[in-house]
Amino acid sequence: MVEHASARTQPSGETSGPKTLVTVRGVEREFDGGQVRALRGVDLDIEEGETLAVMGPSGCGKSTLLQILGALERPTRGEVCFGGQALSGIRDLSGFRAREIGFIFQSFHLIPTLTALENVQVPMLECGGTCKSRRKRAEGLLASVGLEGRLNHRPSHLSGGERQRVAVARSLANGPRLLLADEPTGNLDSANAVRIMDLLLEAHRRHGTALVLVTHDPLVANQAGRTVRMLDGQVDFDSRLEGRRL
Amino acid sequence: MTFWTVAWKNLLRRPTRTILTLCGIGVGIAAVVALTSLARGFERVWRNAYEARGTDLVITKATSRSPLPAPFDAALGAEFAAFPEVEGAAGLMSDLMGIEESPTMLVFGWDYPGFLWDHLKLQQGAWPQRGVPKQLVLGFLAAETLGKKVGDTVQIEFDSFQVTGIFESPALVENGSVIMPLPEMQRVTERLGQVNFLNLRMRPNLRAQGMAAVRARLKEKYRGFNAMDAGEVASRNTGVEVARGMSWATSWIALVVGAFGVANTVLMSVFERTREIGILLAIGWKPRRVMAMVLIESMALSLLGGVCGIVIGLVAVRLLERTEMLRGKLEADIGLGLFGMALGVSLALGVAGGLYPAWRASRLQPGEALRAD
Repeated sequence: MVEHASARTQPSGETSGPKTLVTVRGVEREFDGGQVRALRGVDLDIEEGETLAVMGPSGCGKSTLLQILGALERPTRGEVCFGGQALSGIRDLSGFRAREIGFIFQSFHLIPTLTALENVQVPMLECGGTCKSRRKRAEGLLASVGLEGRLNHRPSHLSGGERQRVAVARSLANGPRLLLADEPTGNLDSANAVRIMDLLLEAHRRHGTALVLVTHDPLVANQAGRTVRMLDGQVDFDSRLEGRRL
Repeated sequence: MTFWTVAWKNLLRRPTRTILTLCGIGVGIAAVVALTSLARGFERVWRNAYEARGTDLVITKATSRSPLPAPFDAALGAEFAAFPEVEGAAGLMSDLMGIEESPTMLVFGWDYPGFLWDHLKLQQGAWPQRGVPKQLVLGFLAAETLGKKVGDTVQIEFDSFQVTGIFESPALVENGSVIMPLPEMQRVTERLGQVNFLNLRMRPNLRAQGMAAVRARLKEKYRGFNAMDAGEVASRNTGVEVARGMSWATSWIALVVGAFGVANTVLMSVFERTREIGILLAIGWKPRRVMAMVLIESMALSLLGGVCGIVIGLVAVRLLERTEMLRGKLEADIGLGLFGMALGVSLALGVAGGLYPAWRASRLQPGEALRAD
């Protein structure tokens, strides 16, 4: 059972009506002085507590969109608003990421010199709290992903599935409102892939955390309430039109 | 876990590189420790010597730029000895000489008899006989170095001298030296009637007045002469100045070389961890926290190197003090101040070497850093 640091948001099923968490308007992203156009005018709304799968062929701009949603990249043109506030107007984007966003990457991206317990505590360092409270929370998060027996193992001594479970625990460290997962099951076998998806969806169900995941796997995408397909830097298909929700 | 844990564990990531960098810093700091302690020791040894002799004021000819002051007329001593405040005046001629097969040694010619001899304690034999030429006494360290005992002869320049006694002094520099009556030294150095130091001892209750009177007379009548107390004469000794200058220059060289070494190691570490730094930024670390992490790594590396350097420097100094070249000539001055200085230099080195890598790390864009190979 996935534990959560705070319960700012009610589970999606208990809210009076969906509120928009993220608004993307006319977002373009260019690289190499405009030679590469990764995003070509994306419009997208993400509701609080929504699960959204972003699909599409390689190079269509899925990961770039995810990075812009997580304030890791700035759009060349267009605007992204989070909770009604434009990201371009936020001075402390690091603090924003620490509080509001949880990231999960395909390659896990854990710090190799730190143990599982320490890796989960890394994002907490930006949000205060005592050493003891951070440790306690990290232990709870790792227990919730089934790793209570692997607290002091470094990533090199964990399997791929276990590493991704540490990454899931880390992404929930500060109780974010939005989880961004870039092919979270891409490097895992099918059994571990199922387990990771279960953990992510459980976090979503228990705490109403919105989940945006980039995937190539239709089975993974099918577990999300909404699917967006991208092509050549634009949204080509949005299942919301069919009214499908988890 | 704290923020420090992350920085500390980064240092342990590549132990071989960390150890090699520590060695590099350690050698630099060791050079600083060794040279500074020897330079300070050199100064202290001379100060001790003047204090042991009971000298209140030393007169030298200031125009000399050679390691030893220029000789001047020994008759000056009689003029100052006539001052009512002056208890005694003793001329001194000193030079560095190669004796037989041994390395260069300090050879003194002292007014004999005179107050300069009062602090020496005879271990064996007797003092030179008045009026008998070609006699000398050896400090016990000089006797060990030369392998001489009472009754042996010592060849200095073209003359053979008889060792009449072996003495011990509270001043290390005298224990490693050869002392003969002044006229003998003047003859050996072909400077008859001359001295290069004039030592004055004041009457106990008239010390300040006596020193002022002598200085006034020198200013009025003997331009180009200096009158210094024991501390001044030690600190303005040309050898001490050269040693101090070398230690200062070496410290700076060590600082610059060490800073480049630290910068290289830390920059390499930042380059290798570009993606990792991207992760830290992505999950919410502020650029200034990343900067602090890299700076702490750099300073921890330098401080550890500084501690290694202090240990290496102390061992090196103890070994150097036992070599024939330095034995009986100087004793390193090692104290908490020196350790503080060495750690201060290490810390400065860590900051200087870590600033650029830290700045670079903090400027990384998380999105770009995550795409790094």
